[in-house]
Amino acid sequence: MTCRLYEEQLSSYLDGELPARRAARLDAHLKTCPHCRAELTALGGIAGRLRAVSSQVQVSHDFDRRVIRAVGYWHVTGWQKPVRSYLKPLVILALFLLAMMGAVWHFFTRPLGPPLPEPQPAISAVAPVVPGASVPPMQDPEAR
Amino acid sequence: MEDVVRPGNLSADGRLATADDATLVAACAERVPGAFQELLSRYRRPAVTLAYQMMGNLEDAEDVAQEAFVRVFQAIPRFRGQASFSTWLYRIVTNLCLGSRRRRKATVALDAVREPRASDSPSRQVTEALLTRQVLGAMAPELRAILLLRDQEGLSYTEIAEALRLPLGTVRSRLSKARTAFRQMWRKLSESGEEQS
Repeated sequence: MTCRLYEEQLSSYLDGELPARRAARLDAHLKTCPHCRAELTALGGIAGRLRAVSSQVQVSHDFDRRVIRAVGYWHVTGWQKPVRSYLKPLVILALFLLAMMGAVWHFFTRPLGPPLPEPQPAISAVAPVVPGASVPPMQDPEAR
Repeated sequence: MEDVVRPGNLSADGRLATADDATLVAACAERVPGAFQELLSRYRRPAVTLAYQMMGNLEDAEDVAQEAFVRVFQAIPRFRGQASFSTWLYRIVTNLCLGSRRRRKATVALDAVREPRASDSPSRQVTEALLTRQVLGAMAPELRAILLLRDQEGLSYTEIAEALRLPLGTVRSRLSKARTAFRQMWRKLSESGEEQS
């Protein structure tokens, strides 16, 4: 059997997945073939290379939050979040209603039309009698 | 009297963190508050890492992993537990990655791992990490998937067969092909790198 045929079995041999009889034959070949031994070592090193790269991957700090938001917070956590999630629209609704009530109150309480003129004090035809003042003598119009 | 752990009371007595995967999956299927978050915290990193090595950049990888967890949450009440939870999750992630890559019909460079900065010493580790990313980026997605499931995530041949829905013989031959391809490309790229330097 040539090295090429043994090479095809190296991967399964590495994982202990080769049937016993084939594994024994490959064992014997590896003792005499430095090329296949080097290939086996190289294949065995792939896992380490992949894990070296994957160990550098940094998952974003907000990943969980994004997943939970996509799933729906209520389903995941129970009743805590919905109370808070309903709070905001309720506050907005309350503020809107207050604003509407303010507008209605302002509309119905403001005077209609242009402002009325200030009322003037009535002019008295008879001069007020001041106590102590000398009263002029009455004139008889027929005395002339 | 043996202490029976029921999914429903896991949240109340605070044992979610110490529950095994099967119990946690059952709790999640019953929508026990906090159960899904515990699964997420356990499998966030493996899912993103696998997707990253498949997709080639962190943004796409996190999008895929997010979609995978949403699908897990939706389908977990129907999960029968024939395979382990991790195998099931890896299957979803791998299928999403392969589907996504097929749709785009383009190979992106593996670029999300921190690039060496000027202040870094040009160590052998950095060079090897860059070369590994190059080699993975050049591999066929199906070969890359099987290589990552075995050599990065450590799945057994049976688990890979379940995850990729392939016969065991195909797993064996495809993995051998993938490792050989990785080895040949590694040799080729490292030799061309040495020639350039």
